[in-house]
Amino acid sequence: MAGFPAERIAFDLAAAVMVVFASVMVVHKHPVKSVLALVVGFFALAVCYVVLSAPFIAAIQVIVYAGAILVLFLFVLMLLNVEVEARIPADRRPLQVVISSAALILFAGALLSLLRREGASVPAGRSGPAGAEIAPLARLLFSEYLLPFEALSVLLLAALVGAFVLARRESS
Amino acid sequence: MLIPLGAILGFLPLLLWVERRGAGLIQDRPGPNRVGPFGLLQSLADVIKFFFKEDIIPTHADRGLYLLAPALAVFAALSTFAVIPYGATLPLKRGDVPLIGADVSIGILFVFAITSLSVYGIVLAGWSSNNKFSLMGGIRSSAQIISYELAMTTAGAGVILNAGSLRLTEIVGSQNGTWLHVIPKWNAIPQLVGFVVFFVSAFAETNRTPFDLPEADAELVAGYHTEYSAMKFAMFFMAEYINVIVASAMMVTLYFGGWTFPGFVPHGIVGAVLSIVIFTVKTLFFVWVFVWVRWTLPRFRYDQLMNLGWKVLLPLALLNLFWTAGLIAARVL
Repeated sequence: MAGFPAERIAFDLAAAVMVVFASVMVVHKHPVKSVLALVVGFFALAVCYVVLSAPFIAAIQVIVYAGAILVLFLFVLMLLNVEVEARIPADRRPLQVVISSAALILFAGALLSLLRREGASVPAGRSGPAGAEIAPLARLLFSEYLLPFEALSVLLLAALVGAFVLARRESS
Repeated sequence: MLIPLGAILGFLPLLLWVERRGAGLIQDRPGPNRVGPFGLLQSLADVIKFFFKEDIIPTHADRGLYLLAPALAVFAALSTFAVIPYGATLPLKRGDVPLIGADVSIGILFVFAITSLSVYGIVLAGWSSNNKFSLMGGIRSSAQIISYELAMTTAGAGVILNAGSLRLTEIVGSQNGTWLHVIPKWNAIPQLVGFVVFFVSAFAETNRTPFDLPEADAELVAGYHTEYSAMKFAMFFMAEYINVIVASAMMVTLYFGGWTFPGFVPHGIVGAVLSIVIFTVKTLFFVWVFVWVRWTLPRFRYDQLMNLGWKVLLPLALLNLFWTAGLIAARVL
């Protein structure tokens, strides 16, 4: 990737778009617009995956997050007809500032320490056609990572049952 | 890349003509027959009309999103065709040209990803119009497309399982040949259930009758595009018909062997042209089925739609997946 400037530019551009729209998502006052900003961000993330030669992950990212989960978000927001979010009362302003700056510092610190330890460069030998092929991915998923994979499906099943119990009508 | 794009846009007015004259045929009336021979130029007249209509943006609409929505709808519809192989390899002097826009390694997932994005055009149109009927259309559409997408992708998984690849050219290639010298090796035969699920879901994904609840003119005026006029309305119209063509092409590619035909081995330029003809004929057959169904079946009720998607099609698609896996494990396929 490093030797080829066009891919580098595409990656940087997509990453910039992602950061900008992620910020819009946080800052924007209208929930529907926030969701839409997040859609653009996810799309840019998918572009990043493609440049990192992982098109499978990119496609799954778009199908699952941009195509399904965020549509559900929009569905709920539209169904409830949520308007511009209410302003936080003035007496709670200082608390908000303290908490958000603490979160910011914590996040920046974690990111910096991670970059210090791992470095910003992509480890050599990782990229290549491996990401494009689905068979090696499937083999890893069903051998080395079988337990986390199955644990995740159980978690999803639990969430499904929970949703069912909550949504069930009380029988008289 | 430009060839399929031009072909689709060229087919659109013809498809419109087929839809209206087909409606006439089915309903025992002539249909539009005054402009040009057999009314062939009616679509052209309509396009000119759309260009000269007043372009209205409602006062309380969200301007940016209102303008973005029709463009998104057309973009999503058109970009799918980039990865569908529409013919064999075309041998030219400067090298072989594969007849496909881009042979990406995740072809089928690309198609599913783009179709899952097509809902944004409709939802945004419904929401930004600031009209309660439009909003209802948008909400219905998002629920409908998500529900049927599940069944559709699960049915598609059976095809992936059989081909052992996500590449659409390899999916087509895996269906080349015959069983017992007569039966074509099309996925539709061992995976008939999967095909039926995919077929029904495709109608729901393209918002065609009997699943056109997002526009349901009897109850929602025109649903998500109530507030649209002139070319912006025409763009939604175009997106619907492009989606019909794309859905037909996908059915042909996944279940009916794409451009292949038993006994047909493409040779040279003639072979390549013949393969395009085969693909086109197969696709047009399904396009006609779309028209046929539209003027034959009445619209579903909303609860019927949801019941069909979740309680019938999804279990059937899962069943098809197990059945296909069983066939592969038993080395029948």
